Amino acid sequence: MNILDSLTKIVGKENVSDTEADLQLYAQDLSLLPPGMADAIVWPGSAEELGKVVAYCNENNIPVVPVSSRTHVHGSTIPKQGGVVVDLKRMNKILEIDKRNRLARFEAGVTWTQYTAALKEEGMRTVMPLLPRPDRSVLTDLLEREVPTNIVYDYGAPTQSMQVVWSDGSLFRTGSASVTGFPDSKSRGANPAGPGIDFYRFLQGAQGTMGVVAWMSAKIEHETKIDKIFLAPIEDLAYGQSFLYRILPRRIGQECLLLNNVDLAAIVADREDDFDALRAKLPPWTLILSISGVMRRPEEKIAYEEKFLAEVLRNEYSGLNLSEKLAGFPGLGRKLMPMLRSPWPEDVEYWKNRLRGACQDVFFIARPDKTPIYVDIMDDIAAKNGYPIADIGKYIQPIEHNRACQVEFSLFYSQDDEEEKELVAKINREATVALMNAGAFFSRPYGEVASIVYERATNYTMALRRVKKVFDPKNILNPGNLCF
Amino acid sequence: MSINRLAYNAMKAVVGDRYISEDPAICQGYRSGPGGFEGGTGYERVMTTLPHAVVLPKNTEEVQKIVKICNRYDVPYVPYSTGFYGPRTHCHVENEIIIDLKRCNEYEMDAKHFYFNVGSGVTLGALQQEAMDNGAYTVIGGGGAQCSAICNLIGDGWSPLSHRVGIPHRRILGTELVLPDGELVKMGSLATSDDPFWGEGPGPDLRGLLRGFTGLRGCLGVVTKMAIKTLPFQPEPLVPTGVSPNTQLELPLNRVKWINYIVPTKEAQVESMFEIGHAEIAAAVTKVPKFWRAIAKAEDKEEFWKLWLVEDEESIKDFFIVRVLLVGFTSEEDMQYQERVLNDIMTEQGGVARRTKPSDESWIKNADSAGMWLMCGSYVSVDYVIESLSQAVDHGESYAELKWKYTPPLMPDFGDPGWFQNFEMGHQGYSEFLIYWDQREDVEGVDKFYVDTSKMNIKHRYYTSLLGPHQPMYLTGPAYGPNYHTWMLKIKEELDPKWVSHPPVPFAHDEFVRKAPWMKDMIDWESPAELPGRKW
Repeated sequence: MNILDSLTKIVGKENVSDTEADLQLYAQDLSLLPPGMADAIVWPGSAEELGKVVAYCNENNIPVVPVSSRTHVHGSTIPKQGGVVVDLKRMNKILEIDKRNRLARFEAGVTWTQYTAALKEEGMRTVMPLLPRPDRSVLTDLLEREVPTNIVYDYGAPTQSMQVVWSDGSLFRTGSASVTGFPDSKSRGANPAGPGIDFYRFLQGAQGTMGVVAWMSAKIEHETKIDKIFLAPIEDLAYGQSFLYRILPRRIGQECLLLNNVDLAAIVADREDDFDALRAKLPPWTLILSISGVMRRPEEKIAYEEKFLAEVLRNEYSGLNLSEKLAGFPGLGRKLMPMLRSPWPEDVEYWKNRLRGACQDVFFIARPDKTPIYVDIMDDIAAKNGYPIADIGKYIQPIEHNRACQVEFSLFYSQDDEEEKELVAKINREATVALMNAGAFFSRPYGEVASIVYERATNYTMALRRVKKVFDPKNILNPGNLCF
Repeated sequence: MSINRLAYNAMKAVVGDRYISEDPAICQGYRSGPGGFEGGTGYERVMTTLPHAVVLPKNTEEVQKIVKICNRYDVPYVPYSTGFYGPRTHCHVENEIIIDLKRCNEYEMDAKHFYFNVGSGVTLGALQQEAMDNGAYTVIGGGGAQCSAICNLIGDGWSPLSHRVGIPHRRILGTELVLPDGELVKMGSLATSDDPFWGEGPGPDLRGLLRGFTGLRGCLGVVTKMAIKTLPFQPEPLVPTGVSPNTQLELPLNRVKWINYIVPTKEAQVESMFEIGHAEIAAAVTKVPKFWRAIAKAEDKEEFWKLWLVEDEESIKDFFIVRVLLVGFTSEEDMQYQERVLNDIMTEQGGVARRTKPSDESWIKNADSAGMWLMCGSYVSVDYVIESLSQAVDHGESYAELKWKYTPPLMPDFGDPGWFQNFEMGHQGYSEFLIYWDQREDVEGVDKFYVDTSKMNIKHRYYTSLLGPHQPMYLTGPAYGPNYHTWMLKIKEELDPKWVSHPPVPFAHDEFVRKAPWMKDMIDWESPAELPGRKW
């Protein structure tokens, strides 16, 4: 029996394909990595079907490339060694929303649009990354540790329990969902840790190389009652960071981020034609800070946060013009506030694609006070290679009371311009090395960045391969990614 | 019998004469018990033995060298820091050595970025003072301030202060782990630089090897260094007062305050906890067992019993307390806001604020675990679970029911359903069940109660801390995951093919129930004729 027949037996013929058109759909993504062709695509409808597909591939030494989102940007779903693409988009059920325990459980195919709408109906919300693509899988973005814009919760990551399919096809539940019979159990799946060892850690940032996650439970929050958004033009990034070091440890704010004029213009431009004018007019950086009143006495919460901010500004940061309006941009705050808690709209071209059609992000974790140095490094490398500095998108996301941050540089380019693609790839490589040398930490390395990072992280790489050998001894799960 | 002389001499060459010993008097100091956590259990009597030698390395490089020597010469070892965790952190096989990490006692704090970088010998008490001097706080786990901060974080690591961040794993940043074969893994940002400020990755997160929901007791290697996240606090000083052992921290009440509320019913107690979480206020929210009050008041054992034995089932059944710690993290106005919200909630639930000491005697300062031995001499937290608040409440009832069967030998607690509280702003609930007994009397009931609690958890589908090394793996393994034990075994065999790192953990409890005659009738689960691992 050939691959297709075997897979058909598991999921039915309407859920398997090896047509050229379907294979092409999964052969490349929006990254700079070269395409790769799978041998078949399969769309399982349940964890059980998924388990059987993976077991079959394992028995026959066939690579398995798990896919959950509809759009991919990092190259991690390109079949690098052929095999079977397992697209989980049919597994798109929100399995439960438990308002009392504030958790939701959802399958891998659930998108940000679907998830945020379902939560809203229940008066709930989730912490989320900045304007995720509407068709991205929530599960994948959480698993891949996309950094949220929300900075107020000490527990940071919302991820709780998961169900995973190991490379041998067996189904396994992590954390407190591991109890027999879950969810028909006293345990609600609220603890990500255990059983025995922290399996969930191995699955995070793994790009599907350790196991295929079928569903996940995650924390959710009540919708806020009142929100206020503040904006400040920032000329001197170091000064802006100094202000964040002062206020964020005092637990001020709900969402907080810094965007440069390029990124902010790309986000708020109503039409593509508006972009250039906006970019030219916006300050080099804009600090965006929301404060929120939650379930009880929301006005009073807003009031004490505002009072604290006012005192700090008056007494210590008189050079910072933080207010509800950004001078020269009426209505900007009103426009941005709902965007901070929504995916990008489905009917508008994604903000990172609006400028040149494609974008390569260079992103890493950093100490906030070193961000001005990283900006200089990026600018120098771009300039040296002839890439216009004025076109680089820059986004700094404070994390956990500003004890760290994620820095993201966006290099926009045209998909049709091979020369430009090569240039951007070169800048990506050079910048990664230079930034690492200056202390930047690439915690989520994709594509070419992975080989740079793992070459340096020698003992970590060795240990990672030993753990991988336990969970996927035949290396069938998404081979060719990370250091596998 | 002795360990290989070549091994001993090689280790001596690494640490120097002064920091290695096989003097029986020194080794006696590393005996499990008498007293201490889990002291006096049958597990202690059956499974622990004296080390043949003790070696005290001073840094990661020396630990690596010692572990490699152990691998070369087949010398089993147990990593050890401050030794709180009783029998499970002591030697289990003959001719084993203890690697005592107390000399790895350097630390530094990066106050701006809210973390410490510590060695394994650094205690939580030192860190809490340093943190508070720098506008931050850490969570002193139930083991107490005298525990190694690293061991606490890779073992358990929670307390009532876990209301803001519960899962201790979240506070672990860049870490150095010496694998059982002596290879070093630097995790997080340490993987590519000397800066430990970040914990995850690169890529899949190998911090998964450090622990499960609870700790692995050193069976997957030795953590020698770790950066530990702290949490931002408020700026007013907390002033130490009193004379030991009756010491307190005087609280700046405009910014830090404990308030005890008496509420009319269990439902009101639980509902108020949920509401506090949903309102996103407070720094700690807990219900404590009533006998803790007697412990706190008593100056000695006799006074405890005098206070405690006036209680009965009725008085326990109708006692509902919610203890809340408010911290004005932002400002005094923040404090006032939180207090108003709290009063709204408690008024709705019929709660009445009681006069509460304007000081902290335990949870911020030291997690007074020593007091736990006051009444009977022996103490164990049989189970301690982070799950939902929903599970926490039901779990307590099931546990209390089972406990009747084993009282005595356990101290009577008149049906108290344990301690439960909010974790992570009520996204999680915590339940912990403590037992007390006199180890000079019958201890077999305690060992049986442990295993019976596991069986109860499996039957009612509760999540539990009784996983991994804490209970027979062949009992709990099939019921969780399922078959998590098979994966643990594969990891163990991959990283420790010679089984030198703290054998026979994680299968030590399996071995115990086979060795202890009184446990035989408890075994109603399937397991292989030969347990995995090397026989020493």
